[in-house]
Amino acid sequence: MTANASAPMLEVRNASKQFGGLRAVDGVSLAVRPGEIVSIIGPNGAGKTTLFNLLTGQLVPTEGEVRYLGEAINALPPHERARRGMGRTFQIAKPLIALNALENVMIGAFLHDANLNVARDRAYAVLERVGMVHLAARRAGELTLSERRRLEVARALALEPKIVLLDEVMAGLNQAEVGIEIDLLRSLHAQGLTFLIIEHNLKVVRAFSERVIVLDRGKLIAEGTADQILNSAAVIEAYLGAGHVGSERAAASDEVRA
Amino acid sequence: MDIFFTVLVFGLLLGGIYGLVSIGLNLIFGVVRIVNFAQGELVMFGMYGGFFAWHWWGINPYLSVFLVAPLVGLLGVAIQRLVIQPLQHEPNMQIFATFGLLMLFQNLMLMVSRGEAYSVGGQVGSTVLTVGDLKLSLVRVVTLVAATLITIGLHLFLARTMTGKAIRAVTQDKRAARAMGINVEKTFLITFGIGAALAGMAGVLLTPIYSITPGVGGNFILAAFAVVVLGGLGSVWGAYLGGLVVGIVEAFAGFYIDPVLRSAVWFVIFLIVLVVKPSGLLGQVGAEEVGFREQH
Amino acid sequence: MSSIDGGKDLPRPAAAPARPGAPRHEVIATAQRAWLTYLGGMALAFLPFVAFINDAHWLNILALTYLMGGLAASWNIIGGFGGQFSLGHGVFFAIGAYSTAIFVTRWGVSPWLTMIPIAIFAACVAMLISWPTFRLRGPFFAIATLAFNEVAFVLANHAESLTGGPRGLSIPFKAGLANMIFRDRWAYALLMFAFVALVIALCVWLRRSRLGYYLLAVREDEDAARAAGINVLGVKLKGMALSAGLTAIGGTLFTMYLRYIDPPTLFTLPEVGVKFALLSLIGGIGTIWGPLLGAALIVPFENWLRSAYADSLPGLSLAILGLLMVLAALFMKRGVMGVIDDLLKRRRGKGAS
Repeated sequence: MTANASAPMLEVRNASKQFGGLRAVDGVSLAVRPGEIVSIIGPNGAGKTTLFNLLTGQLVPTEGEVRYLGEAINALPPHERARRGMGRTFQIAKPLIALNALENVMIGAFLHDANLNVARDRAYAVLERVGMVHLAARRAGELTLSERRRLEVARALALEPKIVLLDEVMAGLNQAEVGIEIDLLRSLHAQGLTFLIIEHNLKVVRAFSERVIVLDRGKLIAEGTADQILNSAAVIEAYLGAGHVGSERAAASDEVRA
Repeated sequence: MDIFFTVLVFGLLLGGIYGLVSIGLNLIFGVVRIVNFAQGELVMFGMYGGFFAWHWWGINPYLSVFLVAPLVGLLGVAIQRLVIQPLQHEPNMQIFATFGLLMLFQNLMLMVSRGEAYSVGGQVGSTVLTVGDLKLSLVRVVTLVAATLITIGLHLFLARTMTGKAIRAVTQDKRAARAMGINVEKTFLITFGIGAALAGMAGVLLTPIYSITPGVGGNFILAAFAVVVLGGLGSVWGAYLGGLVVGIVEAFAGFYIDPVLRSAVWFVIFLIVLVVKPSGLLGQVGAEEVGFREQH
Repeated sequence: MSSIDGGKDLPRPAAAPARPGAPRHEVIATAQRAWLTYLGGMALAFLPFVAFINDAHWLNILALTYLMGGLAASWNIIGGFGGQFSLGHGVFFAIGAYSTAIFVTRWGVSPWLTMIPIAIFAACVAMLISWPTFRLRGPFFAIATLAFNEVAFVLANHAESLTGGPRGLSIPFKAGLANMIFRDRWAYALLMFAFVALVIALCVWLRRSRLGYYLLAVREDEDAARAAGINVLGVKLKGMALSAGLTAIGGTLFTMYLRYIDPPTLFTLPEVGVKFALLSLIGGIGTIWGPLLGAALIVPFENWLRSAYADSLPGLSLAILGLLMVLAALFMKRGVMGVIDDLLKRRRGKGAS
C-alpha cells in the first residue's frame, strides 16, 4: 500500500524543545502523509519521546509548529488532539489497572457515544479486532506485558483515530510476541490507519516501515526508506559509535552509492 | 513610620519562629518528598518535652533541648521506617497515614493532659529587651537567633559532611545517588530523624512563648507549608527566608487589615507561589516532583 | 551487506490461541444486576431501622450512621472514584448547614425549598475553588483543601452578623413536615436513610455512566486519560461539583436534626472533613458500598467510645480513629470491601482449579 502524495496529515516544522540548558529536540521537521508508516529511530536520549510529546500535546514546543490535518495546533491540549483522531500509546504501558480489559477499551470508546451499552459493544468490536476478546473480563493489572501493550493499542483504536503514534510498543516482547504484534499492525494499516512509531527493535523497523527518520541528540540526522537508513554509515555510527567494524564496510558501500 | 517599624520587627521575630518550625519540614519535603501532616505534632512533642523537663526536674528549656530533640528525632526515624517507607510509592495513602498520626498524637496528648493547658512560667518568658524605642520580647529574639544559627549549622552540615552530601545527592536525583552507591533508604531514615529532631528542637525553644496544648501543632502546620512552598523545597536558606517573609506579611496583614486573617495569608501565599513560581524563591529543580505538575 | 540489524526477517509466529472467555453479560454488570444489588443492599441497610423503630437511643445512632454514610459516599465520588483526596469537604458541609439555618431563622423559608438551590450554590463554590487547585498533585491538593477549610473556619467565626460567629446559630423547635423538624426520632432516621439511599443510587448510576468511567480513568492515570480524549480538568470539576452538592444536602439535614451549629462543629477536621474520607477508607475507597459500610462500622463504635470514656480519657475515640487510619493506609488500603473482594476471589480461584 503506497502512501498517497497528498497533503501531510501530521507534521512538525522546525520544532525545538528546550528544558533549561538542554535542547531535547532541535529544529526537527517531519511530515507524515495519510496511510504512511513512518518510524523514528535513534539512540537513547535522542529526543524521540519528547518529539512524540510535542506531537500529542503533552509538551508545548519552545520553537516551531505542529500541524495536524492542515491546522496549526501548538495550543491545542492533548485531549483535544485525541478527539480529532490522534491516538497514542506510551513507552511504559499505562493500563487502568483497577478496570478489566473491556472497560479499559471502553474508556476510549466513550469518546463518540456516552451510552454505556454502545461503548461496551464498540469496545468488544475493538477487542475482536486485536484478538483479545478472550481477555475481556481480565483485570488489566493481571495481563502480561504483551497483552498490556496490545490493550493500549486497543484503547487508542477505540477512539477511531486517523493516525496512531506508538512509542516503543515492542519493547520487552519476545520474538514470537513481536511477530504477533507486527501482524496486527499490518492488518490495521491495511484497513487504512496511518502510523508513526518509535522503535528500538530494528528488525521491526525493517519489517514494518515505509519511511525511517533518525534522531540523534535532538536533531534529525537522516531520513529515507528502511533499506537506505538501516544500511547507512551515519546511522550505524550514531548507534554504535565510529570505528565499528560494520561502519567501515557501510561507509564503503555509501561511497560506492554516492 | 514608628508603628511600621514595630510591626516589621514583630514580623521578623514571628518569621524567626516560622523559620525554626519549618526547617525540619523543608528538609523532609525536599529529601524524602512526602508531605508529613504530623510535623506540627512533632513540634508539639518538643514543647511537652520541654515543659515536663522543666516541670519535673527544673531543667531550663534551653538546656533540655539537647535531651528532647534527639528523642523526637528517634520518633521521626521510627515513623519513617514503619509508616512512610512502606508507602513510598503511594502518595495518596501517605496523606491518610500522616494525618492519622496527627490525630493519634494530638489525642494521645489530650488523654495524658486531660485538656489542661501548660505553660512554662518564670522570668525568661516575660523579659523584655528595650532597643531604642522598641520593646522586644527576649525569648522571641532568642528564637530568631536560634533559627539563624540552626540554619547556618544545617547548611554547613549539608555542605561539608559526608552524610550531608549524601542527603543533597539524594535530593537532586534519587536514582543517580543510588547508582553512586548511596543507601537511599538509610538516607531517608537519617533525614526524617534530623527533620523530626529539628521540629522537636523548635518545640522546646518555643515553650516560653506559647501556651502548650495538644492542638498547638495546628498553629504551625499550615504556616509551615506556606513557608516551605515559598522558600522552595530542598533549600535550607529558602525555609529561613520564607519564614521571615511569611512572618512579615502576616504581621502587616494582621495589623493593617485584620488579625483574623492569618490563615488566609498563609493560604494566599501558598496558592500564589504554586501558580506563579512553583519552585519557590530558592527551590531546587526537584521541586516539581512533589506537588506540582507541568503546565497543560 | 552490512546493516545495523543484520538484515534478516522475523520468524512467523503461531496463531493466537482460541480460548473461550467469560460470557459477555458477566464482564460488566448489566443494569438489571446493578440495580437489583442496589435494592438488596439498601434493604439490608434498612433492617436496623425496622429493628430499632422504638428505641430512641439507637434511632439516633442509626440516623447519624445513615447521614455519615451518605456524606462519606458523597466524598467518595471525587475522592474514591476520582482519586482526588479533598480534606476540605467540611466547607461544602458548612455551606449547606449555615445557608439552611440562615434561611430558616431569618426568613422562615422551608429547608425543603432551599435544599436544592443551596446544593447548586455549593457546587458552584466547589468548582470555583477547585479550579486553581486541581493542577496540584495528590498531597498538595490535600493541603490546599485543608487550607480552604481553615479559611472558611476563620470566616465563619468572623462574620458574626451572618453566621452568629463563635456562638453559632440555633433553630427553634417547631415540629412539622414543612419545617423538616420532627417530634419522632424515627422520622429523622428515615430522612437520613432516604439521603444515603439517594447518594448511593447516584453512585450506582455514576459507576455505569461515562462521567464515572472518566473519573476512574483520571484517577488511574491522567496522561492515559488525556490520550483517550478525556478533558481531565473538566471531569474533575464535574465530579467535585456533584460531590460538593450532595455534601451540602447532608449539611442541610444535619442542621435540621441538631438544630444547632457552630464553627467548631462544622469545621473540625477529624469530625467532619477528614471523617468523610476516613469512613470511605475503612469501608473501601472507590467502591459503592464502602462508605456506608465504613459508617456502619465506625459511627456506632465511636459513639460508644465517647459515651464510655469521655470523662476519663478525652480524645480516646479520635486517637483510635487516627490509629485505624494509619493501619488502614498501611495494611488495608482497599478497606473492608477489599478484604471481602479478596476472600471471594480466593474462593473463586479454588473452585476453578
